[in-house]
Amino acid sequence: MNTKKISYLGLMIALAFVLSYVEFLLPLNIGIPGAKIGLANLVIVVALYTFSAKTALALSVVRVILVGFTFGNLSMMMYSMAGAALSFAVMVLAKKLNRLSVTGVSVLGGVFHNVGQILVAILVLETGSIIYYLPFLVIVGTISGVVIGIVAAMITKRVRMGVD
Amino acid sequence: MKKNDIYLICIILIAAVGLVIFMRIWQRTNDSDSARAVVTIDGQEYGTYPLNKNITEKITQENGEYNLLQIRDGYVEVLEASCRDKICVNHKHIHYQGETIVCLPNKVVVEIVGGEENDIDGATH
Amino acid sequence: MKKWKNALIAAVAIVVVSAVALYLNQLKTNRQPKLTKYTATFLDIFDTRTEILGYAETKEEFSEQAALLKERLVFYNKLYDIYNDYEDVANIKTINDNAGIAPVSVDPEIIELIDFSKRMYEETDGRVNIAMGAVLSIWHEYREYGSENPESATLPKIEELQEAAKHTNIEDVIIDRDAGTVFLADPEMSLDVGSTGKGYAVQRVMEYAREQGLSHVLLSLGGNISGIDGRIDGTNFKLAIQNPDLNSNEEYIEMVEITDGQCVVSSGDYQRFYVVDGEVYCHIINPDTLFPANTFAAVSLITDDSGEADAFSTAIYNMTLEEGLAFVNSREGLEAMWVYHDGSKVYSDHFEESIVE
Repeated sequence: MNTKKISYLGLMIALAFVLSYVEFLLPLNIGIPGAKIGLANLVIVVALYTFSAKTALALSVVRVILVGFTFGNLSMMMYSMAGAALSFAVMVLAKKLNRLSVTGVSVLGGVFHNVGQILVAILVLETGSIIYYLPFLVIVGTISGVVIGIVAAMITKRVRMGVD
Repeated sequence: MKKNDIYLICIILIAAVGLVIFMRIWQRTNDSDSARAVVTIDGQEYGTYPLNKNITEKITQENGEYNLLQIRDGYVEVLEASCRDKICVNHKHIHYQGETIVCLPNKVVVEIVGGEENDIDGATH
Repeated sequence: MKKWKNALIAAVAIVVVSAVALYLNQLKTNRQPKLTKYTATFLDIFDTRTEILGYAETKEEFSEQAALLKERLVFYNKLYDIYNDYEDVANIKTINDNAGIAPVSVDPEIIELIDFSKRMYEETDGRVNIAMGAVLSIWHEYREYGSENPESATLPKIEELQEAAKHTNIEDVIIDRDAGTVFLADPEMSLDVGSTGKGYAVQRVMEYAREQGLSHVLLSLGGNISGIDGRIDGTNFKLAIQNPDLNSNEEYIEMVEITDGQCVVSSGDYQRFYVVDGEVYCHIINPDTLFPANTFAAVSLITDDSGEADAFSTAIYNMTLEEGLAFVNSREGLEAMWVYHDGSKVYSDHFEESIVE
């Protein structure tokens, strides 16, 4: 790992952290713990495309833990973790399929982030009624996924130039 | 953005809308957890009626006493009764979980089980 | 090889999601038992509707709590009954049946109620008089007949009432605490504890509930509502006060919150009444006029003693607004709302502090 990569990763963690904070300031208040637009996914997507799945995973875990300890509590962190894990797995698999661009992958990431959190919420709260939020969250995830995808594509192009 | 991305987004959005429609239908047809009116006579259960079906039901007893129950648009009320005080008939319609209409003379209690919660814990009479 | 890797990624994601769910579930069950709100309704006590609201882990657990309170209410119901005899217990009716004949040995809870009622008589300048049974029973008869036969409903004659009113001296109710007896010295008199019995029973049952360690309980005995603590989430119980105008589209005229130990009671002419020539005659009889009071449609009280609440609401219903306001505002912790027949409302000094949306 060269110095340049290390500094890029540091920067990305910082960026993910800031984006999570921004999101924390604008919570979607719909009564589901941890349901967010998923701005920090931007950083994960960029890492996935500029570095490797492994790096992106490490970033994702570090981000969830850092943000969880700073802004939330343990249970919030766990919800985040579930969302992040599902979202990450889907994104890696989608990228491998090689049929979608950054935008498509990011949309899937956004959608499955929310799906993961809802799944956990249903299991924990032992109530199926939360599933009624799912369509709404899927749409939110799609929209934010598109925006993040487009921005991520632009960033990826420039970061790659920087890294190479 | 590739063509496939557009397809994906369309599929997801259609799935989301489909999900909403599906859940609406499921919610309407599945009564297990939704609101219903439970009628008891002197503590014995007489019948259960879902609030999402408009019905008029005559609750009759062996001694000839009766209460005419109506469910309309999720609200339950007693239209007519053989009792003398007619408190049950004058009672406002009920809708929220735990609300009751009581006919003391006929020992009939109509209670809403499940469904929307009311924010009120009790009421004076 | 590559397929294996994909499967691995998916498997790991699923494991993480389910592990998180399991962990959170564990965290939650360890932290607190899941308490659910339950209500129970009984129709066989005090000739009215009893509702108990409480929180418990299971329906069975709540039923046990409710049965505990119900048992006590049945006990008081028997003691304070003026219409029925019970084989195993001497009650108010037994005392009435022995008026002018002999002192009746009774349960201490009857002596306490009569003692309390005498105190209420003094505090309300005679507006709450349990010795008015002779007058009230006349009205009771006419009301029962009038409700059954609305076409031929009539009013009692004033001479008849005045004759009965001669036998309503509360001094003739003689309590012998040492012997544990009650004696009505006037053979023509009788007790009617309608204005104090229910409220006093609620107060005693709630005290009993506290002794039994019950928390977060709301007891409503015919709209005589009393609470311990509040809701399980720490907020206050929220109660609705019924609109005395039964034809109105508004079921409730006010929403109030009660804190731990507070209670709400309403007295009005809209529940027990009968109609003669289009005029409504309710069950609350003014001891001065011997006729039903009709200044207000209803009076609602908030205070911290259910027995006093019941008695005071009857008394205030019989007072003019000025008298009532002076009475309520001179007492700590007693608030009232008067509702006129046209729906207009008057509040005591601090009643509005309890009102919520």
